[in-house]
Amino acid sequence: MTKLYLRRRPARLVATVAMGALALTGLAACSSDEPSSNESSGSAAPGASADGVDDGTTLSMWTRAPLERQATQLVDAYNASHKNQVKLEIIPNDDMEGKVGGAATNGELPDLLAGDVVRVPYWVENGLFTDVTDRIDALPFKDDISSGHIDAGTDTDGKEHTLPFVQDISVMVWNKALYKEAGLDPEKGPTTIEEFKTQAQAVAGLKKDGVSGTYYGGNCGGCLVFTWFPSIWAAGDEVISEDGTESLLNSDSAKTLYNTFADLNESGAVGAGSKEETGATWTAPFSGGNVGVMPYPNTAVAAAIEAGIDVGVGPIPGIEGGTSTFLGGDAMGVSKDSKKVDQAWNFLAWSLSDDTQLNVVAKAGDVVSRNSLLDNEFTKDDPTASVATAVIPNGRTPVAANFSEAFNASGSPWVTLIRNATFDRTDTVDADNDAITATLGQ
Amino acid sequence: MTLTQAPSIATAVTPPKRRYRARSLRAWAYASPTAALVLVFFVIPVVLVFWMSASDWPLLAGNRGINLPDNYTDVVDQRMFWPAVGFTLKYTVIATVLLIGLGLGLAMLVQESTRWRAFMRTTFLLPTALGLASASLLFYALYSPQVGPLTPLLEKLGLIEGNVSILGTPTGALWSTVFLIVWRFAGFYMLLLLVGLQGIPGEVYEAARLDGANRWQTFKGITLPLLRPSLALSTIMCVTGSLLAFDQFYILTKGGPDGSTMTVVQLVYNLAFESKRNLGMAAALSVIVLLALVVINALQLRVLRGTDEGKGGKA
Amino acid sequence: MSALMRGLSRTPYYVLTGGLAILFLYPMIWTAVSSVSPQPGSAQTDGYGFGNYSTVVNYQAGLWTYLGNSIVISVVAVVVTVLVSTLGGYAFARFTFPGKNLLFLLTLAILMVPYATLLIPLMIWLKTMHLNNTLVGVGLVLAVFQLPFATFMMRISFEAIPREMEEAALVDGCGSFSALRRVLLFAVKPGLITVGLFAFLAAWNDFMVPLFLLGGDKQPLPLAMVNMRQQVMGVIDYGATQAGVVILTVPCVVLFLVLQRHYVNGFMSGALKG
Repeated sequence: MTKLYLRRRPARLVATVAMGALALTGLAACSSDEPSSNESSGSAAPGASADGVDDGTTLSMWTRAPLERQATQLVDAYNASHKNQVKLEIIPNDDMEGKVGGAATNGELPDLLAGDVVRVPYWVENGLFTDVTDRIDALPFKDDISSGHIDAGTDTDGKEHTLPFVQDISVMVWNKALYKEAGLDPEKGPTTIEEFKTQAQAVAGLKKDGVSGTYYGGNCGGCLVFTWFPSIWAAGDEVISEDGTESLLNSDSAKTLYNTFADLNESGAVGAGSKEETGATWTAPFSGGNVGVMPYPNTAVAAAIEAGIDVGVGPIPGIEGGTSTFLGGDAMGVSKDSKKVDQAWNFLAWSLSDDTQLNVVAKAGDVVSRNSLLDNEFTKDDPTASVATAVIPNGRTPVAANFSEAFNASGSPWVTLIRNATFDRTDTVDADNDAITATLGQ
Repeated sequence: MTLTQAPSIATAVTPPKRRYRARSLRAWAYASPTAALVLVFFVIPVVLVFWMSASDWPLLAGNRGINLPDNYTDVVDQRMFWPAVGFTLKYTVIATVLLIGLGLGLAMLVQESTRWRAFMRTTFLLPTALGLASASLLFYALYSPQVGPLTPLLEKLGLIEGNVSILGTPTGALWSTVFLIVWRFAGFYMLLLLVGLQGIPGEVYEAARLDGANRWQTFKGITLPLLRPSLALSTIMCVTGSLLAFDQFYILTKGGPDGSTMTVVQLVYNLAFESKRNLGMAAALSVIVLLALVVINALQLRVLRGTDEGKGGKA
Repeated sequence: MSALMRGLSRTPYYVLTGGLAILFLYPMIWTAVSSVSPQPGSAQTDGYGFGNYSTVVNYQAGLWTYLGNSIVISVVAVVVTVLVSTLGGYAFARFTFPGKNLLFLLTLAILMVPYATLLIPLMIWLKTMHLNNTLVGVGLVLAVFQLPFATFMMRISFEAIPREMEEAALVDGCGSFSALRRVLLFAVKPGLITVGLFAFLAAWNDFMVPLFLLGGDKQPLPLAMVNMRQQVMGVIDYGATQAGVVILTVPCVVLFLVLQRHYVNGFMSGALKG
């Protein structure tokens, strides 16, 4: 028996490797095979202009996964026309904070860091970005840039850190075919919240299988911020205080809005699944042709049209008229760890130039970040573009350091408020609003 | 003590003391890679975790000095703490009962060796080849109201109304995750218990049959007691794994809806990277979990340990 | 006649086990079929085809980069796990040495720490060791997470070997190491394969550890899969997700089927002593 085992070759092979490992054991604790290569070459090149430096430097960039398409378009266009090369890294949306936090601790942030515009104030407060106030102020088109993304990156001392990277706005969409069936004018969307309610109820009145009047992400704080805040702004009210520490979501217009949705729920005009909708699929029922009218992300309109829906697009109305929108998307800045600020700035300045905004951003069907360019050759035939043009000047971005915890995080006090007010009508808006303030102010 | 057992032919002339020391040295040589890895990649990071748990350490701002015991009190006062503990325990009980029960059932179904049973064994084991993340992604699609086949099926059965996500309700989310876990791990526990079953000598069953014991009596009187070591191992593994459940909930439910499926480890992640962005609190919760697990496992070992003195461990 | 009766009486058994088999296989089959089926919102909208797979192949740095990284990470993890746990398992099974129980318990304790917590400490610590952002570093970390199971497995595998076998080798004039190398390794082969397979499955599929410890071009496949799932405003490309799951799963399933016999034996050989 023993002899038999002794003859086996494979065992010997494995064992030889094992012996090698044994010999190495003493070294295992300090086995390092790669010296750190963090030293950068070009820091603060002399004679840096407002355009930054394009000298063949490699720049790293992080952005979150949902904006992968837009980010890739910009990076590809930049790399094709510049000596500098940007290496784009995509981070899962929900892990962005952890990844950025770890990198910040280790001093390993990428040169260019983009983040959801509602997260950026917290990052700025913690010093993740390089101060680029002078450079931003020196841009010839500074006043033309949609301001939300700059404001989000402005700290309490007025120092500016970020510029718009990708824009997303919220609009009202309706299904023209369903409107026709319900006897509504398919070319006219709601201009007040009351009209929104009656139109939704008219579509619900069709009693078609699987079709509902409206739909919303009842368990998705981010979706509701994006789609409901504009109605409150349009009515002339604020959602949070200027310094971002107090919630003002118990105004009369806010309460009217909640009650409208509560009425819609009670009349059965809200699609099944709204109450559970966590945001993963909140745009799907409309693009599936099963929803009459709802506030919607502009970036998802194209997909709905592609899916064969005849989409009507309009601005999100206020309580009694007026319009507004949520200027969402991502802002980008140069990180604190970047040693290539001039080169990184070259990308940022280029990304907002007329040529880039028109021939890269607008051409791909995305919303530009320069107000004067909203009307352009690519948006001429696009019905959504004129809406965007009209509404963006009224658009807003709320700024608060603890915004995501108060609104976007799962189980946030804002979600609690919405659920209480629109599903259960508990009349606890004031108390729930205080809970949001508590989270914002901590 | 083991000297008497040690092979001693070649070294018979050396004094026992030195021989023991030489043997210890050699043993350490073999164990040193393990020791090195455990020390470098486990002990040191865990020490760091303990240090963090005692420090004011926001995610983005870094270490701001010792603040003991603030993190611990903050964690326990956190509004999700007790719900998360409760849910984790509930999930652990459900998962353990189902997995061990089903594992045992499957093991008994495929115990004998026929071609069909071998095929069944492979079938039940196949899901264990998937990573938990892949499996969770797979079930995420399976459960989705857009592309998954389950929603229409449940709708037809009248269990749900309309095109809603199965993961949308607390009960739905819990049982969907349990189903995924049972699918992924039942085969593994079947294998563990199968090993135990095969270890029970046939004569014992023979004797029982001669005594006129029926199937149930045999199962209760012979199978279960003799299976005790395997059952203990499986239970400890399952309880530890379930108490630390993270990936499946992270991908399938994100702790939702309304935080109803928030496990303790999810909360650790949430505190560190989502809501509080506070590494100190997250570390404090981890330390609490670690200590709880040590106590729970010690208790389990005491209760479950059968006749053999055991090896003081588990896998 | 009686054979027929016996066959009939077994029918419920076959129905039951057959039903269970379908239940266990269905999710995987469904995913494989769906990944090539037409689905709205994916790259495969009309007819059957491999549109979703080309989405995956062309995603960002490209499938081959991710695949290459995954392979390096997995190989490092498997080699380290197998070597370390073999030597360690041998030491625990066959020797008495000071600190033995402490080391063994420490190794098992790895199972009890929520790994989500270790991510940031590991990030800081790996940087100190200049192992940050290296595939080897991630491979080592993943190997460590495998150590409790692997060490336990190898320990019981060695314990299951009759001492006489080892003694016979020692009589032949081998030291303990050549005894290990020439005799025992063959006897614990099933255990080795089980440990290696588990290490591979874990390393191949992990995305959280690489997410935190790797960046740039070093991301492995599962991380790319998770990224790909998320589109604008949380809308999900299920087609690409399913294709990704299939690409991730096929190597695992093949390896699993090939090694299955050894793997089952790995459990049988040691765990009798449970």
